[in-house]
Amino acid sequence: MKLLKNLLKSPMFVIGMSLFLVTILIAIFGPLFYAINTDRVGVPYDMPNAQFWLGLDNYGRDYVSLLIRGLGSSLYVGVIAGVIATTIGTLIGLYGGFKGGLADDILSVLTNLFVVIPQFVILILISTTFEKRSLALVAMIIGFTAWTWSARGVRAQAAALKSKDHISLARLNGDNTLKVLVVHILPYILSYVFMVFILQVSSGILSEAAISMIGLGPTGDNAISLGVILNDANRYGGLSDKNWHAFIPATCVISALVFALYLINTSMEGVFNPRLRK
Amino acid sequence: MAIFEVENLSLHYLTRFGAKIHAVTDVSFTMEQGKILGIAGESGCGKSTLVNGLMGLFIPPLYPTSGDVRVGGESLMNRTPQDVRQNVLSRKVSMIPQGAFNALNPTRKVKDIAADVMAAHMKGVDRKQIYERLKERFDLFGMETEKVLNAYPIQLTAGERQRSVIGISTLLNPQMVIADEPTSALDVTTQKVVIKMIFDLLEKGIFSTMIFITHELPLLRHVANDIAIMYAGEIVEMGTAQQVVFDPRHPYTKALMGAMLSAEPGQKQRKPTAIEGAPPNLANPISGCRFAERCPSAKPECKEREQKIRIVGERQVRCEYAE
Amino acid sequence: MLKQYPTARFILMRAGWYFVTFLVAVTINFYLPRLGPNNPVDIIMAQAGSGTSREDMRIKEEMYLMEFGLVKMKASRDAGGRAVKEMVRDAEGKPVRASNFEQFITYLGMCLKGDLGTSFYKQSKKVTDVIKEAVPWTIALQLPTILFGWIVGNLLGALAAYRRGVFDKVFFPVALGLSSFPFFVFGMLLVAFFALTLGWFPPMGGYDNAIPGFNWPFLSSAAHHYVLPFFSIFLILAGGQAIGMRSMGIYELGTDYIKYAKWLGLRETTVLLYLFRNAMLPQITGLALSLGTMIGGALITEMIFSYPGLGMAMLDAVTKNDYPVIQGVTLIITVSVLIANFTVDILIAFLDPRVKAGVQMGKGL
Repeated sequence: MKLLKNLLKSPMFVIGMSLFLVTILIAIFGPLFYAINTDRVGVPYDMPNAQFWLGLDNYGRDYVSLLIRGLGSSLYVGVIAGVIATTIGTLIGLYGGFKGGLADDILSVLTNLFVVIPQFVILILISTTFEKRSLALVAMIIGFTAWTWSARGVRAQAAALKSKDHISLARLNGDNTLKVLVVHILPYILSYVFMVFILQVSSGILSEAAISMIGLGPTGDNAISLGVILNDANRYGGLSDKNWHAFIPATCVISALVFALYLINTSMEGVFNPRLRK
Repeated sequence: MAIFEVENLSLHYLTRFGAKIHAVTDVSFTMEQGKILGIAGESGCGKSTLVNGLMGLFIPPLYPTSGDVRVGGESLMNRTPQDVRQNVLSRKVSMIPQGAFNALNPTRKVKDIAADVMAAHMKGVDRKQIYERLKERFDLFGMETEKVLNAYPIQLTAGERQRSVIGISTLLNPQMVIADEPTSALDVTTQKVVIKMIFDLLEKGIFSTMIFITHELPLLRHVANDIAIMYAGEIVEMGTAQQVVFDPRHPYTKALMGAMLSAEPGQKQRKPTAIEGAPPNLANPISGCRFAERCPSAKPECKEREQKIRIVGERQVRCEYAE
Repeated sequence: MLKQYPTARFILMRAGWYFVTFLVAVTINFYLPRLGPNNPVDIIMAQAGSGTSREDMRIKEEMYLMEFGLVKMKASRDAGGRAVKEMVRDAEGKPVRASNFEQFITYLGMCLKGDLGTSFYKQSKKVTDVIKEAVPWTIALQLPTILFGWIVGNLLGALAAYRRGVFDKVFFPVALGLSSFPFFVFGMLLVAFFALTLGWFPPMGGYDNAIPGFNWPFLSSAAHHYVLPFFSIFLILAGGQAIGMRSMGIYELGTDYIKYAKWLGLRETTVLLYLFRNAMLPQITGLALSLGTMIGGALITEMIFSYPGLGMAMLDAVTKNDYPVIQGVTLIITVSVLIANFTVDILIAFLDPRVKAGVQMGKGL
């Protein structure tokens, strides 16, 4: 709790968190205030006007609706991917870091392999095999390829904690590995894991945008994410025809989102490592 | 002729909110050629601040309030930082820091660090001359010169690193060397080697005087000629080592000696006793004796009357009632 | 014997490790696309099955099977007695399909010979040719950008850490803001502003109306088209590095050896050198680790600008389901990242005396 108080003192954290919460609120409650309509309603690339504040896209759909939907989808993918990646990474890192020995060596080799082999390469390769990709599928693919960073970080933390006294005491008491892990180590690294989670969510949102830009993002009429919006803008002449409304709003939204998460992460780092403060 | 003179030196810090912290008050002493002055006191007594002041390093938020520091007759006050860097540091006054074995840049060879010191203070000396001089100097230390000079810090033992630091700090033959806990965290054998090296250098005239700061009072007795005891930014007692350790007059010094475990003959029977309480907050101007709160022999007037240095039993004592 | 040369042994062991990683990467590269419902073989066969007559279709099908290594081959002799490879046929005369594993071996063999197959879409164009055309553009864009971005970013970050004060207060938020943009998003913004609104730079392409070669019209046009993609990546990379270096710098400033350097009265430039030399080491390691992501982002930036590099090659291939090209490009990307990581590993071992000492003592794997 002292942690929370310290965090709230940091302006970066407050700004970041507020921004992030605003985006979540828009995504969840937006539809209540604005009639979302993602069907064609007019002329492609109609400029912003009183009726459609941000104009229409290349299919003639309302950008405001698309953006609110897109925000929600991107958040969805980001969070699910984040949860998957953090869970896998934490489990592997905890077990390897704590157990040490052969288990650790094997897991480390595995982790290092996938740190070096670029994540997005694997992303591309897996995504090409699925012709139809739902948001959930995209989220899963991202989550299952993004865990290596978390594994490394958690492993380092677990290994450092292993040699602390109260852990040795617990082991002497005969507590088995699982109990020691959950009861003694997890509480300590919880704040670290949370920081990792924020990073994973942010990276998940970006990965989705990136993979959509290659054309391997979510498919289907209802799969509208920020990445898909950007991709459509890029593909269908949004950039070269002075249709700024095609990509500026989406760009701003995704930047704001990523920036917010990044602020949260940096401020957390600052709180954990006091020397960086000031 | 006094090599090093400190006259009524007072130093303060300015905090962000404009408060003045009087970290050092009215410190005076002089040092002759070949003498070692030991300074002892508990954490927070102002030793570190004093050290910075004695080197002329008045870097904000540290400021001199009043007083003078002179090396070889020349004052260290009112100099520009550039002047201090170029002419004072390493040349007149040098420092052997605490935790000296971490003080060496891990990505630089010892000889290069030493060469950097020379290059920073001497004009127009080329690298070859520098290395010649380095070799001469390090040969004096009784280490394997070639190996040590060409090594990276990580390749040396703690003792070798400590001695390298001493060597580098005394490279330009400073008149005054300040050693801050040079032997703590070393094993006993290495400690002896380091002390011997210090004595050797002093004897050979590599440096002229030394201030030796440490918590370890028994060590001080063996090493220092004179000892000054600091408390809350003031010197409360100063005299020869023999006097201060075996015949303390100031209540604080007495308490310190009492708190000390000693294997000295005649001291084994005493039980160590801790000094209750904590040092005062130096932000507010303090009236009266600073030790009064914790003094076992305090009288009611002590809290009001400012204590000045008196001469008692051939040494300085800052207490009206000391005998 | 090798124990006497710890450096050589270290390099060999690292190289060995990277080779193993390469083999894993090739395996993944081959098998992953075949695991899902939409695998390349079916696509090939779907394309093969387009012909006028049955006979046409059969010939075409067999041609494809051979071309893409999908059928078992055996050594035999042709009419003139020369050694050729012939399809293995079953009792009904139909070609016998090679198993996935056999295909993999063929693929591995081809890779090691430098042959990455033939493009589906651009018939009779070798994948290696497609890559050869695109790679110079990608390297020309990414190599200087990443190098300069790293150097400039770290220098600025070190300066910010040392000086603090006004420079830092202005610089830090700017760098922070910049560094959180994905490259391609920033690229879009630059295009919107500088290309579409101000018209100073072209919004896409690598060059215009010129014949590639060492002639002035081409070079000047290429340079003109280079600016926006370069800055999309450079500014963000530099910002990110600056932030990291600033943190490292602040940390190093509090270390004992910097304090001692100041106490010794060393020159300011010397102290800065000490600072930089030490803080830079983790930054190099960091660079290696993020190289994969960086290159990925840069490739997508290329797509935004329709820059004729590997990014566009990949985009085209994905759009047209051109599997050999997709696989070829991913393999090349992976190999580049592996080589880069290997180089950095060796570099660090030579630059950091602490690691060097570990190597000398036989550690370091």
